[in-house]
Amino acid sequence: MKRFFMVFFILCFLIPSVSLGAPKGKLIIAQAVDLTSLDPARHHTQGEFNYDNAVFDRLYLFDVQGNSVPRLAVSHRIVNDTTWEFKLRKGVKFHNGDPFTAADVKFTIERILDPKTKAPFAANFRHIKEVNIIDDYTLQMVTEKPDPILIKRFAAGATTSILPSKYIKEKGEDPFLRHPIGTGPFQFVEWVRNDRLVLEAYEGYWAGSPLVKTVVIRPIPEDATRIAELQTGGVDIAVNIPPFLVNQVKAMPGVEVQSVPSGRVIFLYLNTLAPGPLQDKRVRQALNYAVDKKSIIEKILMGSGFQMAINLTPYHFGYDPSLQPYPYDPEKAKKLLAEAGHRDLKLVFNTPSGRYIMDKQVSEAIAGMFEKVGVKIDFKVREWGDYTKDLVTKKLVDIGFIGWGNVNYDADGTFFVYFIKDAAFSYYEDPEMKSWIIEARHALDEKKRKDLYTKISKKVFEEAPLVFLYQQQDHWGVSKKVKNFQARGDENFYLYRVGVEK
Amino acid sequence: MGGYLLRRLYHSFIVILGITLIIFIITHMIGDPVVLLLSPEATQADRDELQRQLGLDRSLPLQYIVFIKDAVRGDFGVSFRHQRPALELVLQHLPATLELTLAAMVLSVLISLPLGILASMKPGSLLDRTGMTFALFGQSAPVFWIGIMFILLFGVKLRWFPISGRGGIENLVMPAMTLALFSTAAQTRLTRSSMLDVLDKDFIRTARSKGLHEFKVILKHAFKNALIPIITIVALQFGMMLSGAVITETIFAWPGVGRLAVNAIYNRDYPVIQAAVFVTSLFFIFINLLVDLIYTKIDPRITYR
Amino acid sequence: MKNKKTILYLKKMPIAGGVIFGLVIFSAILGPVLVPYGPADQDFSKVLKPPFWQNGGEIKHPLGTDMMGRDIVSRIVHGARISLFVGLVTVLLSCFIGTWLGMLSGYIGGKMDSLIMRLTDIQLSMPYILIALAIIGALGPSIKNIIIVIAITNWVGYARIIRGEVLSLRQMEFIEAAVVGGCSTPRILFYHILPNVVNSLIVLATLDLGRVIIFESAFSFLGLGVKPPATSWGAMLADGRIYLTYAWWLATFPGLAIMFTVLGTNLLGDWLRDILDPKRKRYVLV
Repeated sequence: MKRFFMVFFILCFLIPSVSLGAPKGKLIIAQAVDLTSLDPARHHTQGEFNYDNAVFDRLYLFDVQGNSVPRLAVSHRIVNDTTWEFKLRKGVKFHNGDPFTAADVKFTIERILDPKTKAPFAANFRHIKEVNIIDDYTLQMVTEKPDPILIKRFAAGATTSILPSKYIKEKGEDPFLRHPIGTGPFQFVEWVRNDRLVLEAYEGYWAGSPLVKTVVIRPIPEDATRIAELQTGGVDIAVNIPPFLVNQVKAMPGVEVQSVPSGRVIFLYLNTLAPGPLQDKRVRQALNYAVDKKSIIEKILMGSGFQMAINLTPYHFGYDPSLQPYPYDPEKAKKLLAEAGHRDLKLVFNTPSGRYIMDKQVSEAIAGMFEKVGVKIDFKVREWGDYTKDLVTKKLVDIGFIGWGNVNYDADGTFFVYFIKDAAFSYYEDPEMKSWIIEARHALDEKKRKDLYTKISKKVFEEAPLVFLYQQQDHWGVSKKVKNFQARGDENFYLYRVGVEK
Repeated sequence: MGGYLLRRLYHSFIVILGITLIIFIITHMIGDPVVLLLSPEATQADRDELQRQLGLDRSLPLQYIVFIKDAVRGDFGVSFRHQRPALELVLQHLPATLELTLAAMVLSVLISLPLGILASMKPGSLLDRTGMTFALFGQSAPVFWIGIMFILLFGVKLRWFPISGRGGIENLVMPAMTLALFSTAAQTRLTRSSMLDVLDKDFIRTARSKGLHEFKVILKHAFKNALIPIITIVALQFGMMLSGAVITETIFAWPGVGRLAVNAIYNRDYPVIQAAVFVTSLFFIFINLLVDLIYTKIDPRITYR
Repeated sequence: MKNKKTILYLKKMPIAGGVIFGLVIFSAILGPVLVPYGPADQDFSKVLKPPFWQNGGEIKHPLGTDMMGRDIVSRIVHGARISLFVGLVTVLLSCFIGTWLGMLSGYIGGKMDSLIMRLTDIQLSMPYILIALAIIGALGPSIKNIIIVIAITNWVGYARIIRGEVLSLRQMEFIEAAVVGGCSTPRILFYHILPNVVNSLIVLATLDLGRVIIFESAFSFLGLGVKPPATSWGAMLADGRIYLTYAWWLATFPGLAIMFTVLGTNLLGDWLRDILDPKRKRYVLV
């Protein structure tokens, strides 16, 4: 008997874990927050998108480098400036066996646009005027104006996860939301709020059966707890390892850390809309020169960051590699301030606390650096909801710390939101720059867009409407039992090629 | 007695009405949920539309009337974030909270009462000093510090208990110990001081001089007379644990009402805040009524006019 | 009953308590002049240095430095002022409010009792974060407003415990004698009731002090807490929390400072009780 088991175990090891055969094993993932609902259209946070990625599928996805890859779409054709035609994948089935067709795509998009759905990201798709079914596997979309980043919007938008129109129409919304089905690699099993989400492999997945039998996603808000679970094998993957704990986690047996530059950038708002010294370009440049980004990244972020010239990362279309970050030059900062004639400058500095990695600590350090070049700082820690309200209603006073994860991987998602006054988060506008941003937003010619973004980037750098800081680096703690897991800059995880040895 | 209970019931009704009004005003004071619910590309028109959808464009008095009308039927509205009825959400999280709170309460009473009584019998003794040192620790150590230390010691090093989440009784041990620490300290100290008070009284000396066994003197005569403040603090802390276990729940990833309510506050999810406060207030009203009734059992001279 | 050792112990306590508490007050008042660094003195060449006895620590920063190279000892001393101020003022305030409401409630009873006790029901049901956010919205963030928030969430405990005790006290013969003797209500409350509840009061207040000082940390990320570059023990706890498993000294030393202060007040509280209670005093002076 004993020998039999020995042989059995050896056989188990001989068969490579990434191979044909039924999915097996259980993968437990700890993330910081829980879902709020099971409805992709209403999702808002990364923790929710990861569920969308597992249970559903969408027209396009981004690969690790940020290129869009067709998923439920197979190809597209631009019919005219405002009409796009998509060919859809055949032979895809929902978890209940219903075939996926163009009707499901139409239903999903129209549901997002319906105000009753209260979809947080509806604004990103509002310009889709019509969705027309040509046949079961061909679909046309008509946009208000030409939209060069339509595909990227789908690739980035987990909220556009394709829903089963027939099932929802027959059974109703509520039963669907209690037990959702999609076309994704995993089927929904159970969700206990704030405790666990349980998924199971869908062997009929169109791209092949996933390797893991069961996936459990647990919300564990406290970093120390998440890491302790990883260390003792309670979870297999832990997100958001804080930079100062990376070495500790690396030293744990059976665990490795995957580090990846994030699509999220960190910078400071400067309110240039309200009259005051911040309307003076020299003051804004001075503040950029005053920040010792290198020390902040090395000492406070423990190396987990990359200095930025402006607020775009190399992931983004339109990124200009020729721009170099503002150097740390306090003397130049003082000189510029003196030239601008602001000797007794006093500014309010707002920061959230605990929203971004080391946010308050970095802010305190920067406030100290501003003081060193002679700018008096009135430091305010802000509760997130209170702070956001001020930001969106344009009531921010002077300076504010903020992070921005532009997961469209396109300069538009940053410039349009930050440098056009009407957008929720913008505190800057320049007529010439605005016209370029709008032009690029509606140009289907890639070369033209690229040139425009280079022009805009150079102007953004020169005008310094923000204090540019750094691009974050994310760390994921991954058990060595987990195979094929790849950390991504957009904080998403896709599990259908991931295996686990147990 | 019947009349008294009836009056209390009537008062409770007024209290609940008062709470709903205050909580309604406060939730509307702390800011706008809409900005937290939309994508950055959303425009002012999008925000206005959502405001209308959520019924937040109506005048405050009108909103309150609608709120009360629905609340009477047990309907606190649908959570802005979770898209489920708010009361349902709170009730879903309630068992986990009750489990944790009861466990912590039992733990702290079982430790603190004997410890407090024994310490009061011999002030200055080794046991007294050990007990009071422990209490000192319990009353001044931050909860997060205790919780994480427990995790590192019992979870990571010794591997006695699972680190986080809800499950069997073994999952309950560390969070309950963490939550119980402060109340154990408080109850131990108060038990000791109340006992010391009573042990000085003449009737105890009389009882002793009658030659009664010391344990009988302590338990039957002294403890009973020291019980009123002890009962009060136990009840008070039970209530506070029910609503105030947020840090413990966060550290141990415990799916309780505390985390739900606090997240609702941060997200300005008015219906959930209102439902959570409503449910908590029912508990407080009930516990405090119970305490007042226990008073009359302990000390029959106590009457309520 | 009590042996010599016990008496000696009881005798020594007030001295120890006085010394400890005096030391804390002293450092709160004069400390900032004596320590070498300011609370905001950043030094990026000395980030997260451990205490001197650990590998990598240095004697210039005996208890180590934080993530911005700021000296922990200096920050604890600078933080003492705000923490003690917030702690003592809120405890005294909530103790004062709670005690009087509790005595009135228990002694007068009837409608007064119902009114005050139902107020406690309402107060207990309100989450403090909600109150804090409402206060920020209405009054703006400041130290004064933290004190308001904590005091209005904290008086309830005193009120309920004092009331419970008064309920049974008011039936006692000596109170009835005082009433028959024509004492006014305030006089009875002050001279006859208060001395009999003072023991519980002292225990409650000393219990509260540590809790309140820690509690302040809960407000620091709501923006209601102390404003950097100033600091407090609560703010240091809040900052050190995430580093607990990496740099244990950040949260542990402010925690010990709190514990030390609470120890001092506990000992002083015991002493105060002995002075106020003539019967117990006997034992101490033997």
